[in-house]
Amino acid sequence: MSARQYLRVVREVARKDLLLELRGKRRFNGAGVLALLIVVVFSFAFVRQVESGAVVGRGSLWIALVFGAMLALSRGIATEETNAAIEGLLLAPVDRSAVYLGKVCSATVFVTVIGWTALVGVTIFLNAPFPPAVIGRLLVVFPLAALGFAAAGVLLTSLTLNSRLRESLLPVLLLPLVIPVVLAGMELTKATGPFLASGWFRILLVYDALVALAGWLSFEFVVEG
Amino acid sequence: MGALSLSSVSKFFGDQVGVANLTLDIEHGQTVVLFGHNGSGKTTLLRMLATLSRPTDGTISLDGTPLSRDRPHLRDEIGVVSHETYLYDELTARENLRLHARLHGVDPDRCAERLDAVGLTHRGSDPAGEFSHGMAKRLSFARATIHDPEVLLLDEPFSGLDRDSRGRIVARLRDLDDTTLLVATHDLDRGFDLADRVVLLADGRRVGDVTTATCAGPAAVERTYERRVAGSTG
Repeated sequence: MSARQYLRVVREVARKDLLLELRGKRRFNGAGVLALLIVVVFSFAFVRQVESGAVVGRGSLWIALVFGAMLALSRGIATEETNAAIEGLLLAPVDRSAVYLGKVCSATVFVTVIGWTALVGVTIFLNAPFPPAVIGRLLVVFPLAALGFAAAGVLLTSLTLNSRLRESLLPVLLLPLVIPVVLAGMELTKATGPFLASGWFRILLVYDALVALAGWLSFEFVVEG
Repeated sequence: MGALSLSSVSKFFGDQVGVANLTLDIEHGQTVVLFGHNGSGKTTLLRMLATLSRPTDGTISLDGTPLSRDRPHLRDEIGVVSHETYLYDELTARENLRLHARLHGVDPDRCAERLDAVGLTHRGSDPAGEFSHGMAKRLSFARATIHDPEVLLLDEPFSGLDRDSRGRIVARLRDLDDTTLLVATHDLDRGFDLADRVVLLADGRRVGDVTTATCAGPAAVERTYERRVAGSTG
């Protein structure tokens, strides 16, 4: 097995996921709308009661991202369950971690898009425009947070594949696991201080690396009965 | 190339027996039908051979190399036609084949010829989700053979197919002279003509092994099977 073969499978799996999404928009239609609805609910519930719009904005942004991402991940694995399509991928003549990485790449793109959708919602409905410095750092923070979500989420959705309890199991398993991502995301969305040198940024980087490594190493055993 | 060997292979699901202590040698180019009732272990066995499931015990080898070693390389020698089609409903027939061609590192241009072979050229641009069961099965067959595997595993390949679809698949199987075929079925009338051997499975155990050239036909094999099953349970 050459590195070229391996990377080809990573690319094909990711490309297939993006093509399916472009065609059906199954994930975005559900997850994007859910993220926006969460922001709208926050705007009704808190905007008059809480003095700091920035605090409500940050909170609703990341809560919308968390639940939108969870729905997107759940829908993604449902596509793989239909016709047991994922087993076709698992028959590829490469280490199965290539399938994992391909799915993490595509899920990272989806979650990042959901993040930006939530940000647009927060800006419109909560009237809480983040300063340009925060928008700039979100260009880096969203993809990194999305990578953490995707790395943990793809592994867990694969673990719960074919389980009738998947819909309820996924949030129970995933939410505690992504708490570091949410905390780091919330802190890094604050306007103060340089963020690249901050401890939260390092936590996000280390979390991404550890979870992606754990998924990469264990995926074969997770998907093989 | 394409010789399979199973040595004392077992698969358990908790207390349930999937396959029990199965030893079997299949020569290159042989067509072996795995015959048994529902729950006899046919699908479990095929999934282990496809590397989709690991044996609890025992060793499976392809051309002398254990499947537990160098699995990625050995997967390139194996094609699988399952109950499920392994197709993406939103992708067209051609896109599905091109995806699997690329996954196996073969020229995607081969897809046109493979679509033609299963009589689906005119539906190449249609989403697989719009296909009938028979058409999806034919497309699945094209998917499984896109990389010219040495070993082709087929799980109930004729179930739910009309005469035309069945005929096309049988014709394609007859063309695969150099390929080792394992066909799991509970309907011996379909598949017996292709077989060199019929391995009889019941409750995960081998209860018989019949060479088709020396037996009277599928009905005789089924009678033997029922006798053996009754003997093993009685």
